[in-house]
Amino acid sequence: MSRELAKASRVRVSELTSSTDLYLGVHIAGPGLTFDISCFGLDAEERLSDDRYFVFFNQPNSPEQSIRLLGAQQGDSESFAVALPHVPDTVHKLALTATIDGDGQMSQVASGYVRIVADGTEVGRYSFTGTEFSTERAVMLADVYRRAGEWRFAAVGQGFDGGLQALLENFGGEALEEDAPVAAIPAQSPAPDATLVAVPAQPTEPVPVGVRVSLTKYTELPESPGWVQQNDNLVRATLTKGQDVLALQGSMVAYQGKADFAYEASGMLRKLVGNLTGQPLKLMRVSGEGQVFLADEACDLHLVKLEGDSFCVGSDRLLAFDANLEYEVRRIEGEGLPNGGYFTLQLSGHGTLVVKTNGIPVLLPVTPVPETFVDIQALVAWSKGAQVITTAPVRIRRSSYAGHTAQSHSLQFRGAPGNFVVVQPFEV
Amino acid sequence: MQAQFLAGGGLGTHRPADTAARMSNHGKAICRVAVTAQTDVYAKAGAMVAYDGFLQYEAVSQTFRRALGEWASGERSPLLRWSGDGALYLADMGADVLNLHLDNEKLSINGSHLLALDATLECAVEKVKGVAMMAGTGLYNVQVSGTGWVSVTSRGVPVVLNCAEAETYVDPDALVAWTTGLEVRARRSMKLGSLVGRGSGEAMQLGFKGTGFVVVQPSEDTADRLKIRG
Repeated sequence: MSRELAKASRVRVSELTSSTDLYLGVHIAGPGLTFDISCFGLDAEERLSDDRYFVFFNQPNSPEQSIRLLGAQQGDSESFAVALPHVPDTVHKLALTATIDGDGQMSQVASGYVRIVADGTEVGRYSFTGTEFSTERAVMLADVYRRAGEWRFAAVGQGFDGGLQALLENFGGEALEEDAPVAAIPAQSPAPDATLVAVPAQPTEPVPVGVRVSLTKYTELPESPGWVQQNDNLVRATLTKGQDVLALQGSMVAYQGKADFAYEASGMLRKLVGNLTGQPLKLMRVSGEGQVFLADEACDLHLVKLEGDSFCVGSDRLLAFDANLEYEVRRIEGEGLPNGGYFTLQLSGHGTLVVKTNGIPVLLPVTPVPETFVDIQALVAWSKGAQVITTAPVRIRRSSYAGHTAQSHSLQFRGAPGNFVVVQPFEV
Repeated sequence: MQAQFLAGGGLGTHRPADTAARMSNHGKAICRVAVTAQTDVYAKAGAMVAYDGFLQYEAVSQTFRRALGEWASGERSPLLRWSGDGALYLADMGADVLNLHLDNEKLSINGSHLLALDATLECAVEKVKGVAMMAGTGLYNVQVSGTGWVSVTSRGVPVVLNCAEAETYVDPDALVAWTTGLEVRARRSMKLGSLVGRGSGEAMQLGFKGTGFVVVQPSEDTADRLKIRG
C-alpha cells in the first residue's frame, strides 16, 4: 500500500510501482492562502531550457502531452499526470513547486502532501506542514528525476524565498520583461537536499495569525476610481462630486467616506414601469465622496461599460447605473405576454451599469440563422442592435400531473452579427 | 491509463479533502470540523449535514444555554455540543462558510451567522449598545474570544472592510461580524422628505470607527427561509 516518505528521502519509482503512468497529487492548504502549483521540466543543468515544459494553469500540457495538469481532483488541490516513457530525453527532472498567490508565507500552511498514484492506488505519500517553513513564499515540494537511467522520486520540501517569479528565474526561465541576465546559479547536483538558495535569516515582522489572516482573501480591493467588481456578489462604486449613481433602493450594504442616499423621483419612468408591470422601479440617488458597496441578495453582479452604445436590461435585472446615462422605457408587446407586455430599460451614453443575475449567465450571439429564442423569464439583457420578435406562446402540457399546465413565452431575437442576448439560469 | 483519471471525474471530484485542519471548507458552503477526543465543538442545532467517525452530540448544559439562549434577536437557538473522534460537516442553506482562526482575539458575530465554534472559546451574548432599539431587529451579538476556531456563514461572498482607513457604515442586515474594540454608533440617513413615504430605502446604518474591521455580506436578506432555526 501507500508508502510514507519522509522529507529528503529518495526512492526509485520502480520500487513503488511497476507502472510508468503516474498521477501526482498535491494538496496544500492554509487559511486565507491561495497557491499556484506548477511542474518544471528541467534539463541536465537544472535549467528550464524549454518554456513549454513549465506546466502550470496557463499551460496545462507539455508539447507531447507527457506531463499534463489535471486540476483539483479527489481532494488534491492540484494534480498532474505524467507518462514517464514519453518524457523527452532532454528533460531530466520534473520539479513540483507551490507558490503563494498574494500575501502570506509558507509557515501559515496548515497541511499538505504530495502523493503518487499508479493504476488507481496510492503508492507513496510525502506529508508536510507549515511548521517546516518560515517566511518563504514558495516551496519546492518534490522531484521526479532521472538517475542512472531510471526514474526516482524525491521528497524535497525545501522553502524558497520570493514568489513564482523568483522561482522561475532560479530555474533560468524568462521572467516577464526581465532583460537583466539571471545571476548565475551554480549547477545543482541532483541530490534534492542540496540547499538551492541559502535562505537569509532576515528579521521580518511578526506573522499576523488569527482572524485577519483567515479573512485575507476577502479584503477590500485597492482603491481606484469608478466601478470595481469586489467579488461575484459585490460591486464598489467610488463616488466623486458630480458623478452620482442611481441604484435600487436598499441595495447599499456598506460604505466608507461621505455618501448620501436620496429618494430618486424617476417621474414618468417609474410611473410607466410601475403602472404597467405592478413592480415600480424604486431607485435612489447616491452622491457624495466615498466608496459604496452595492449588492442584492447575493445575486451575481456584472459590470457593463457603455461607450456611446446602448444596452437593454430587464427592469428587474438592473442594480445600479451611472446617473449620467440616459434611460428610457421600452415595451415589447406580444400576444399573451404577462401583463400585456415586457418592459425593459434602454440605457445609452458613456458610463457603467450593473446587471444582476441569479447564477452564471450565458451570453448568446444573435444570428439570423439559426434563430435565437429565449424564455422571457430567463432573459436578462441584450444589445440594442438585436431586434426582438415575439413568438406565439408555447404551451407545455404536463399531462402526467393532473391539472398541471405550464405556459412559456419565448422571444425571438434577430440582428446583425455582433449582437447578443444575456440569459440567466433561473426563471424569475 | 485514462480510466484511472476519469475515475476521479464526475462526482468523484467531490470527495472530502484529507486535511487535518480543525475547521476547513469543503466547497464554499460546507464546513468540515475535525473533532478529536480532546476538543469538543459547539454547532448550531440543525446545521449538521453529515458526519463520519464516532461522534455524539448533546444539548449544551442549561447554564450555558441560558447564557447563549437568546443570542439571535431573541430567538432561542440551541447549541449542540459535539464530541468524539471524526469529521463533522455543517452547512446553513447553502450560505458561504468562513472559517476563522482566533489568536487571542475577540470577535463580535451576529448570532444568526454563527455556525460553529470551538468549545475552548469563551462566548457571551452582548447587546449592541444604544443601537439595538433603533435597528428594530434587535441587534444581539455573540462575542467570541480566546484562541481557536469559529465558523460563520455569509450569504454570498463577503467583503472585509478596514475601519482604520475611514469610518465604515454598514447596513445592519448585511453585517456578519466585527472585531471588538471598535466604536459603534448608529447613523440615520433619513431625511425629512423620507417621512412622507419617499425614502431611499437606506434608513439606518451602523458606523464603525477605530482599529479593526467588519465583515459584510452581499445580501440583506434576513428572511427566515434562509436560516436554520433550532
